[in-house]
Amino acid sequence: MSTYGTPGAAPRVLDPVTLPSDDNVDAYTFCVELKGSQWFMQKGKMIAYYGSIEFNGIGHGRLDRLVRKAFHSPLHASDWVVAEGSGKMLLADRAFDVNSYDLDDGNLTIRSGNLLAFQPSLSLKQSIVPGFLTLIGTGKFVAASNGPVVFMEPPIRVDPQALVGWADCPSPCHHYDHGYLTGVLGGLRAMTGLGGVSGEEHQFEFVGAGTVLLQSSEALMTEQATGAPPQQPGVPGGGSPGGAGPGAGGPRLPGQLGDLQRRFGL
Amino acid sequence: MGFREINSKMVEATVAPGQRLFSQRGAMLAYKGEVSFTPNLRGGQGGVMSMIGRRVANEDTPLMTVEGSGTVLFGHGGHHVQVIHLSGDILYVEADRLLAFEGTLEQGTVFLGSQGGVMGMVRGQVSGQGLFTTTLKGHGAVAVMAHGGVIEVPVTPQRPVHVDPQAYVAHHGDVRNKLSTALGWRDMVGRGSGEAFQLELSGSGAVYVQASEEKL
Repeated sequence: MSTYGTPGAAPRVLDPVTLPSDDNVDAYTFCVELKGSQWFMQKGKMIAYYGSIEFNGIGHGRLDRLVRKAFHSPLHASDWVVAEGSGKMLLADRAFDVNSYDLDDGNLTIRSGNLLAFQPSLSLKQSIVPGFLTLIGTGKFVAASNGPVVFMEPPIRVDPQALVGWADCPSPCHHYDHGYLTGVLGGLRAMTGLGGVSGEEHQFEFVGAGTVLLQSSEALMTEQATGAPPQQPGVPGGGSPGGAGPGAGGPRLPGQLGDLQRRFGL
Repeated sequence: MGFREINSKMVEATVAPGQRLFSQRGAMLAYKGEVSFTPNLRGGQGGVMSMIGRRVANEDTPLMTVEGSGTVLFGHGGHHVQVIHLSGDILYVEADRLLAFEGTLEQGTVFLGSQGGVMGMVRGQVSGQGLFTTTLKGHGAVAVMAHGGVIEVPVTPQRPVHVDPQAYVAHHGDVRNKLSTALGWRDMVGRGSGEAFQLELSGSGAVYVQASEEKL
């Protein structure tokens, strides 16, 4: 059952010719080939490149038309750059698993910190779920995840931290589970706060047709400073930086001591 | 029943009515079906006395009981997960490495000093186990977390296995372990090899070793 790898195997040497084109080099690195074309990519995710590639911040006057067509999230503009030129560019993110996904006239919503790069044929918009971005159109994008991504079909309930994204709009909503707070013992638990929380009373619930993408761990990537959605009636999470998404627990019940009890292991 | 490894960092468990699972709190990633998660004040099985025992021994991890019918995905903190099947023998593992285990297993706490007296206690300090460690006994499956990948090294009577105490994860079977030292004058003047302490496991069973010297 245990594999010890192949001892003595020589390291693979890659050059501009042998590097794959728009494909994974290994599980942690993705190679993008540019032939005069453009890619949007998140700042700091490029680890190396061959050829002549120019990286321009969004807001650069020359790129105005491109940005107008494909980038509809002013909040994230400072985190993204446009790579253009010709050559091969390697993308990676802190040894997380990297994968590319093809959208064919589809839509996919993904946690903003997990998206590394996308083709300008896709258009990027902010999801109404804070902290998530939606890609619409046809094209390829690259995303990172802690551990391989697992695809699941709804109906499913997902821990907020394990959620990478979802495709084809399977109605994301919150699910609160306080079943153990009913009954005599549960009442006592709710009154005194003793007995604690299971840590699993809040999930994202997905129903309907579509696909849900999970990452296999709850270690979150550092949230990108994505700014705040405009403070305006009807905008979820408006005004609070980073959105309310992960980490924010369920509503606190009367009598609960909050995080204190958890710290003491109660 | 049991756990199905989806990938190196994620396991899937099937829960059916009447079958319970215990898992570390907050380790659920996703579930399908009607499954409930109840925080477990006693931190495991047994009555109040075993709870106090665990508290004293510092082997109490926040556990929750998983019941209902459906499938649950478990994973935690990006750690690698190893599923170990027990058939009647005892698994020795640190409580905070337990990701999930089946309710058919019996949980206990042992004092390391009971295996080799003072040397057992020293061994516990060096391997980061402390003075106490958790045992699981019976028939069933356990999902254990480790930093980096896990390899299973069989221990046979003719071939004792030496393990770096920091890379030790768990062991099961009829295995005696003792701390072997290779201290010399070099260690005293700070020019040691850094491998002065090793765990020597002998008997018959298996030891699980992680590909990292980092603790959880």
